[in-house]
Amino acid sequence: MTDESASDLHVPVSAPAAGPFDPEGIVWQRVSPRLVTARLIMLAVFLGIPLLALVVLAIALPGAGPWLWISAAVVAVLVAWSAIVISRQVRAIGFAERDEDLLIRKGVMFRSLVVVPYGRMQFVDVSAGPLARKLGISSLQLHTASPGTDATIDGLVPSEAARLRDRLASRGEARLAGL
Amino acid sequence: MSHLPPQGASPAQPEPAEVESGEVESVDAPPADLVWRRLHPVTPLVRGWAVIAVLLVIFGRQSIENGPENGIPVDGSNWWIFASGFVVVALIGGVYSWLSWRVTRYAYDADAVYVHSGILFRQQRKVRLDRLQAIDIVKPLLARFFGLAELKLSVAGGGDSGARLGFLRDADANQLRNLLLARAAGLEETAEGEVIPEAPESPVLQVPPGRLIVSLLLSGATIALFLIIAGSIGAVIAARSAGPLATILPALIGVGAYVASRFTSEFNFTGAISPDGIRLRHGLLETRSQTIPPGRVQAIRLSQGLLWRKADWWRVEVNVAGYADASDGNASGTVLLPVGSRDEALSALWLVLPDLGVADPRAVLETALSGSGRDGGFITSPRSAVWVDPLAWRRNGYRVTDRGLLIRRGRLTRRLEVVPHERTQSLGLAQGPLQRRLGLTSFVLHSTPGPVSPMVPHLADADAADLLRTQASRARAARTLAGPERWMQATGQHPSPELSSPPPPPLPPKDLS
Repeated sequence: MTDESASDLHVPVSAPAAGPFDPEGIVWQRVSPRLVTARLIMLAVFLGIPLLALVVLAIALPGAGPWLWISAAVVAVLVAWSAIVISRQVRAIGFAERDEDLLIRKGVMFRSLVVVPYGRMQFVDVSAGPLARKLGISSLQLHTASPGTDATIDGLVPSEAARLRDRLASRGEARLAGL
Repeated sequence: MSHLPPQGASPAQPEPAEVESGEVESVDAPPADLVWRRLHPVTPLVRGWAVIAVLLVIFGRQSIENGPENGIPVDGSNWWIFASGFVVVALIGGVYSWLSWRVTRYAYDADAVYVHSGILFRQQRKVRLDRLQAIDIVKPLLARFFGLAELKLSVAGGGDSGARLGFLRDADANQLRNLLLARAAGLEETAEGEVIPEAPESPVLQVPPGRLIVSLLLSGATIALFLIIAGSIGAVIAARSAGPLATILPALIGVGAYVASRFTSEFNFTGAISPDGIRLRHGLLETRSQTIPPGRVQAIRLSQGLLWRKADWWRVEVNVAGYADASDGNASGTVLLPVGSRDEALSALWLVLPDLGVADPRAVLETALSGSGRDGGFITSPRSAVWVDPLAWRRNGYRVTDRGLLIRRGRLTRRLEVVPHERTQSLGLAQGPLQRRLGLTSFVLHSTPGPVSPMVPHLADADAADLLRTQASRARAARTLAGPERWMQATGQHPSPELSSPPPPPLPPKDLS
């Protein structure tokens, strides 16, 4: 207890200048840039293929009027916008292990920051789909007793995810409290 | 289907086959010296009736919603088809209930309750008593005729966790509840066969039926009902036919069913405090008596709709981990006070949090319930929040006390949410693009599933960052001081409500006992 209150004294009372999503003294750990590739591939599958289909249709049916080209342009703008945003989004993901809790921040337009105390962790999931496995990334999710806790870290290197999982689990066990 | 053992394998090795078919952890096998008991033999009859009742309701609703032109009409020519259908379903239901009763057994020891059940898919469940979140005794109407009751043990597993022991004789259910509560509390002197006296209780809350009816008439459901009726009358006049009436019938039934279920489940509501925790009794047809042990309430909300403001009535709801999404769809387990005066609502809050951790709790709570602006130590949204929440920005805010976080919200519907520091699960901040331009950030506190989801919208960036940082350390400090899961094993620091000490908010003057 004395240690904690002593360390609290070093933190300035006023909010840090960097804004609420960058608490002072936090060094964010970044996720793998391969997550950008993974998300771009997903984008290509879900928006790129429809775009291609629209373009092919527009060429094949010249009498169909400008609507096919217009919708293709709309989808193309959407793809370009998403492609730009994805790399910024991935760069915005950060996590930090503090002594007593884990911090996760994400988002560029819609920002969020979650603080999960180790003692509140109920279980930790590490998962990787086929695409993520191919690219060598996996995602880690912390669960508390609250469904509102959205503590997911995407794009971790598998070894890092396993290391983090084990460390979180052991820290959680050491600080386990009831509900 | 992998649960079912292959036909040929079962005679050769019956034991593993049975083990395979259930959810059994070999490391956690129940002790051999348990006394296994069966439920009351009338159970299948009561359960079987429930199946038929559900069928009747579904059939009735179908034929009403489909209307006479779409549904299959029941008249003289085909009534026997329906009658024999009901008989067949009743027979199947009865046989199934009887078989299910045959295979259901329960036992308990000092640490856990064990329930074995299931006809095809065997289930062996162990409910740890130190994880118990609440115990309810539920008496459906038919069970009351037979003097039977169902014991429901809630644990924080979500979904279909916990255990239901039903049905037992009234006296047995009461006795078992007292025994389990004593063991869950960590009282040692509970020998087998000894009659455990019920813990003494002192009544705190009572809702007279008249006030419940008036409060329901003044609730949002009634407004919806009026709008539906007015809209349909308008449509009938405009269309000059009775056609629109048929389309609004399902909506009317929905609203009516909601009001009726609130009335029957919250009828004759009483709340009391005992060393076992909070005791709630309520219900018209199906009665329910709940026991929520100390420290099991995760968050509490006092709310007041616009129409209740004149009478200054408040509704109090709580988050209890075990009540999360009750499989019977009855959310009334989370109501601590259906409707009550300001004093009664504050008494309900006192049941959960006897010590608010401020010098003058009454003044702070008055500000929290009906105040606005930064009086009383509340930190509210800055002026720029007027662009995103023009009505309530002066009221939305929080105040921190030594024991909990008070969150005040809403202008039309007033809300006060209180989360004890040691019940904080996790914390978060969120900010959209418009909020960023205005320098606003929303603070979210994650609690267990339930009606209360605490959050402070649109705080100034600095205030939100400050709250997040300090609240994380406060919650951590409070957790290390929190009482044990077995609440009677506590030493001096345990937050158990003392029966002798008067509650800070004055109790209603009239004698409730």
